[in-house]
Amino acid sequence: MMTGTLVKATGLEKTYPLGQGEVHALKGIDLELLKGEFAMLLGPSGAGKTTTLNLMGCLDRPTGGELLLAGETLYGNGRALREGRLDAIRRDRVGLVFTEFFLVPTLTATENVQLPMLWRGAPDRGRAEELLEAVGLEDRLTHRPTELSGGEMQRVAIARALVNEPDLLLADEPTGNLDTNTRDEIFALLEKLNGERGLTVLIATHDTELAQRMRRVIHLCDGRIIGGEIDDN
Amino acid sequence: MKWISLAFKNLVRRPTRTGLAVFGVAMAVAVLFSLVQFQRGYQEGLRAELGDLGAHIMIVPRGCPYEAATIVLHGGKWPRYMDQSWYELVRDTPGISASAPIIMDAVIRGGGQENLIYMGINDNYPGLRPNWEYRRGGWFSGENTVILGASAAAKEKARVGDRIVVEDGNRIPRTELTVAGILDRTNNQDDGLYFLPIATLQRIFNLDGKIVVVLVKVADVAKVDEIADVLRQRAKQAEASMNVFPLSELLGTLKSLLANTQVFVLAIVVVALLIGGVGVLNTIMMTVYERTHEIGMLKAIGSSAADVFRLIWLETLITCIVGGVAGVLLAIGSSRAVVAVLSHALPHVPADFSLGFAWDAVGVCMAVAAMLGVVAGTYPAWRASTVSPIEAIRGGS
Repeated sequence: MMTGTLVKATGLEKTYPLGQGEVHALKGIDLELLKGEFAMLLGPSGAGKTTTLNLMGCLDRPTGGELLLAGETLYGNGRALREGRLDAIRRDRVGLVFTEFFLVPTLTATENVQLPMLWRGAPDRGRAEELLEAVGLEDRLTHRPTELSGGEMQRVAIARALVNEPDLLLADEPTGNLDTNTRDEIFALLEKLNGERGLTVLIATHDTELAQRMRRVIHLCDGRIIGGEIDDN
Repeated sequence: MKWISLAFKNLVRRPTRTGLAVFGVAMAVAVLFSLVQFQRGYQEGLRAELGDLGAHIMIVPRGCPYEAATIVLHGGKWPRYMDQSWYELVRDTPGISASAPIIMDAVIRGGGQENLIYMGINDNYPGLRPNWEYRRGGWFSGENTVILGASAAAKEKARVGDRIVVEDGNRIPRTELTVAGILDRTNNQDDGLYFLPIATLQRIFNLDGKIVVVLVKVADVAKVDEIADVLRQRAKQAEASMNVFPLSELLGTLKSLLANTQVFVLAIVVVALLIGGVGVLNTIMMTVYERTHEIGMLKAIGSSAADVFRLIWLETLITCIVGGVAGVLLAIGSSRAVVAVLSHALPHVPADFSLGFAWDAVGVCMAVAAMLGVVAGTYPAWRASTVSPIEAIRGGS
């Protein structure tokens, strides 16, 4: 059920310096995500998908425009929230999943999931195990990343992203390193988490096959949104 | 999972590098612990040894008084002598409660393995040794008799009434001595000595009319310096070539010499600590560089700059504290070897000198190790905390 706006971007711009010149990664995008939405950013490499996710995930700062998360202005009028607040938002309100799983190799699956809770001062082992069970890894709790398959590592990364109960899950090419079957499993898992937990999910991908299974696909090309229709089928 | 377990797991990922950093700190702390314990053990040993001497003033032939003191404390052969007649100058000095002339010589036996030290004493000597107890027998019963210290008796496997032989090739005439008494263990230099009547020793070793030291005990300890001055005056008037010095002065001078040595050793310790600290800093910096990507990921999943700082700092602190513990254990484990080395390197080492163990020394070492960790960890931790998550993630895995 979608009620209210969770993310609102207005005229969002991002420009990177490159040698003597500049690269305009985002050229003023307007975008609104509703609470509980399951959406996809689709576009070729260099379209601005990752940049958009990085801005929403408070990993990077825009060079123009405005970005709001749950009514709180992250960036606007050329100013950003202070670093500590952005850290807290990244920790508590946004979950990030990457193509590479970014798991700490010496920690077990459970310990990797506990990490974001550690930053919050309450590493609850029970909750980490519960989430790993929810992503189908109940028999991999004490395994280290080297003992897991790619799909399993991505499941651990998803559990880790969810452990602090974020409002928004941002997944940047989450199936980019996986085979087709595993890709479908991970996609189904994200779909399930959205359906069962009402989690707002935004996936960035260039996989058009996955896009066909989405209710909403936002097309990006050359830093601009060229379509963001809702597919009611 | 706790912070400390996360930090520990990060450290054991690179066991060789972490081990080397720990070793560097351990070596520095081991030297520090040994130095602290050396100072304590040496002073206590020296104080006890001088106390066991039972005298307040020592009179020796002209020359280095500290060399003479070493000979007197440990026994041995010193090629400087005083005329025994000079003892008269001492004996009659007012304020002296007891005094004893002493002559010493030594024989090396067993191809240099054994150093037998003979001390010639007279009836006055027991006055300086109120704690002497005989295990068997007693005072000299004749001219060619000997009293053995506990260790000397064990070495000779001798009992009262047995005969032991004094010989040293052609240097001295072969002489048989009858054991008149065996002393109880004193735990000082007396245990290893062979005591002979002074005239017997002078005869055997061809040192007639010579003595090597006079030990003096005063009636009032507060007047030691005053009596020492009187003795110096008397020696000067009689043109007797001898050194008079109170043992408190000797103790102070030895302490002062020791303090000078310690400044030098402390400088080495500081350098060792600096090297250890730089080693730790270098190790942690390298791991920070290597883990830039991972640190960026930690920030991406919500850790703040302060969290990263805390983690890296904790890793450094653990490295140094483990190094500190290893260093103390290393120092304790090698204390006998250190004492053996020091005994050869220093001009005088007290007989029962040991490095020993003390909790406050452990505390000092652990505090220094922790401080090292705090200082060495600050820069790498700060560098890590400034890693940009976006830059680190863009760097790839």
